[in-house]
Amino acid sequence: MWTKVRFWTLAPSRLLMGLLFAAPLCIVAAYSLLTRGAYGGQSPPWTFESYARLLDPLYAAILFRSLWIAALSTALCLLLGFPLALFISRSAKRKNLYLQLVMLPFWTSFLVRTYAWMFLLRDTGLINTILQSLGLIREPLPLLYNEWAVVVGLVYGYLPFMVLPLFATLERIDPNLLEAAADLGARDTDTLFRIIVPLAMPGIVAGCVLVFIPCLGAYLTPDLLGGGKSMMAGNLVQNQFTNARDWPFGSAASLTLMAMVMLALAWLARRQKGDLL
Amino acid sequence: MSRALALTAAAVLAFLHLPLAVLTVFSFNASRFTVWEGFSFKWYAALAQDTRLIEGAWNSLLIAAAATIFATAAGTLCAYGLWKRRAPLLTGTLYLSLVTPEIVTGVSLLAFYQFLFRYLDIRLGMHTVILAHVTFSVAFVVVVVLARLRTMDATLEEAAMDLGATEWGAFFRVTLPALLPAVAASALLVFTLSFDDYVITSLVAGVDSETLPMVIYAMARRGVNPAVNAISALIVVGLGFFILAAERLREP
Amino acid sequence: MKRRHLLAAFASLAACRRSLKPRLNVFNWSDYAARDTVPAFERRHGVELRYAVYESNEEMLAKVFSGNSGWDIVFPASSLIGPMRENGLLSPIDRSQLPNLANLDPRFRHPPWDPQLEWCVPYMWGASGILYTRKLNPPPRRWADLWDPRLGGRITMLDDPPDAIGAALKKLGFPLNSTNPAELDAARAELLKQKPLVRAYLNAEARDQVVSGDLLAAQMWATTARQAMDAAPHLAFAYPEEGFSLYADCAVVLKESRRHELAHRFMNYLLEPETAAAVVTECLTATANAAAQRLLPPSLRDDPVLYPSPEVMNRGEWLQALPPAAQRLRDRIWTIVKSS
Repeated sequence: MWTKVRFWTLAPSRLLMGLLFAAPLCIVAAYSLLTRGAYGGQSPPWTFESYARLLDPLYAAILFRSLWIAALSTALCLLLGFPLALFISRSAKRKNLYLQLVMLPFWTSFLVRTYAWMFLLRDTGLINTILQSLGLIREPLPLLYNEWAVVVGLVYGYLPFMVLPLFATLERIDPNLLEAAADLGARDTDTLFRIIVPLAMPGIVAGCVLVFIPCLGAYLTPDLLGGGKSMMAGNLVQNQFTNARDWPFGSAASLTLMAMVMLALAWLARRQKGDLL
Repeated sequence: MSRALALTAAAVLAFLHLPLAVLTVFSFNASRFTVWEGFSFKWYAALAQDTRLIEGAWNSLLIAAAATIFATAAGTLCAYGLWKRRAPLLTGTLYLSLVTPEIVTGVSLLAFYQFLFRYLDIRLGMHTVILAHVTFSVAFVVVVVLARLRTMDATLEEAAMDLGATEWGAFFRVTLPALLPAVAASALLVFTLSFDDYVITSLVAGVDSETLPMVIYAMARRGVNPAVNAISALIVVGLGFFILAAERLREP
Repeated sequence: MKRRHLLAAFASLAACRRSLKPRLNVFNWSDYAARDTVPAFERRHGVELRYAVYESNEEMLAKVFSGNSGWDIVFPASSLIGPMRENGLLSPIDRSQLPNLANLDPRFRHPPWDPQLEWCVPYMWGASGILYTRKLNPPPRRWADLWDPRLGGRITMLDDPPDAIGAALKKLGFPLNSTNPAELDAARAELLKQKPLVRAYLNAEARDQVVSGDLLAAQMWATTARQAMDAAPHLAFAYPEEGFSLYADCAVVLKESRRHELAHRFMNYLLEPETAAAVVTECLTATANAAAQRLLPPSLRDDPVLYPSPEVMNRGEWLQALPPAAQRLRDRIWTIVKSS
């Protein structure tokens, strides 16, 4: 009986992912082994040249910068997202309302939100103007067009990816458990780190994965808030598919990046005893 | 503790809503640049005449609604199946779809569609966009729902089955109700992902399926466009009211 | 049940859209049509026109590259005509169906990228230069002024390799379309030298910040600059003395199109002086149509930004499609500049 149920629970996703994700990805894999045509496009001969080009130290530097920025953004997302998710999971009646408030900003276009951040952070922007009129600073702070602005943009952009899985697990925690802990004299920090955090671990891991991965592939935020001055892995891939029109190299770069992230995830999954997903 | 928590949560919510406040203010700006030149409704007036924006918004809503229903259903079932027993190949594929840069998902899907279209008489359109959105969002649903399943007790279902429930009965009567918050959270996530997606959509959309983000990118890629601010503000305020009203109705 | 309703709604929606009128699908740059351009054509010929816009060549190219995009007419930049033709994406132009070609400016009747106009019809054109605020004294006149430490941190360069690398090449006195590795390497060194002075590599987004005063100068396309100047009189635009890039956006009929006759009728309509003049007046762009230019009000016709004098124009150089080796070298240079 269970095999039948299992078949039907997994069948839709198997069909979908096989047909509309895995098969198309094979096309990209084929691209990565072809050669860029004289005017874009891709054609034989088959070659590993695109992969060989990736050995350039130039690309390693881009990868390390991306890893660092993505990791920092993920950590900050967790730091901001955890209290928010905890608060929402504990509010008795208004859970859905708060959850929707979290998502509300994301129903406007990403581009529009990014422009709003450009206005907030620039020299004549809101933050600098307020600080200057309060007399706290004389010269405007260089808030926009550096790696910190990229981090702010990424944290802002992917915070819901952290909050939602966190909420989904935190909400499961029995309030009685926490009361019992308090009754037994546990301090708040003890309760937090000894009970809540361990119980919420699946959500924390899921949230971190959901934030870290898109941060690594982000390209508009580094372009618009970072001023295109510190290229990230996402920009590299995007550029190959657009400006450079070198699809074989773009495919090779993205497949390599994906392979590395997958290896990291597999390692994480093993450490979690296969519980990652 | 709880007061500190509430304050932190309020601060984070403020961080999330600050850009909204900014764009709402600038939607009333008389100037077309982000320099305040006085109050004006002219961008809203311009909006009312812009059929492209309205058509795009409608297309986006339809696509997001369809993608949410299909992806949430498929993803929840899948998470349940994976919770019961591991399926490394499917799990790996789902993760791979998460780590694929958007442009690669888009380009590969477009190439695949074009390949199919040589043999079938179909063209790019709403259906291709919906399928693309369902595909890239299933993994998100699985991750969120599975994170919740991991915190649940598997013996509960067994107990139900000992009492005579069928497999499906146990799922629908016992597990699914306990899963609902995660299902709702992931549905919200999918809707948002779909509603805001530009890169993949612009690649797989057909001649007749321009979505709101596509219209907005075309209007605003050259810099802030107050009419775009105006429609963003309208969407946020409109949906905000809708949410509040729904909340009111739910509470007796 | 809900799902079935939704599907039914979709099906009916899709059915409604299939109207019986002949239909032409046109994919153009934003800001390249006046409010009435499309409706007037529809009314006159009793046809339906699907008109959508894009913001970069790459965006358009990614879609039409597969040869099954659904579009009939697109407007690639001049440097893409060759590559698109080579890749078999274009359908030849039938000049006998385009009597209005006679309206084109002589410069565009035999352009270097398509000397006999066999594949494309030039529509609008543009150039890159320096948008700056009039507060800047002395005003920038040359690309070299964007390397001036005086402007340190308050300039932007275009986030577009042909233009940014092109500016460095021109500053050094090399040709814009250089494929010479030594020249390109010198350009790379120039760009790296300039990088500490550059606040950001931005495209049209820089416009807002020149208006607000965050930026003193920005490398910018003439048309975008002209549109900004229209709303912000404290801005000005310079065509650099060392030379600058020129491009033309041209109408082409895609090979996949099954509506050649209608497509030609639409292109001929765009070539009518009244049509083109209306677009220029409303969108502030530079038309390739001499007859249309004569119809413009004097203020626009003699606008030094949209229609610079012949002496200025002589300094311009058309952007070209580059051979793969040079393209790859330039891409590597761009990656180095942006990631150092």
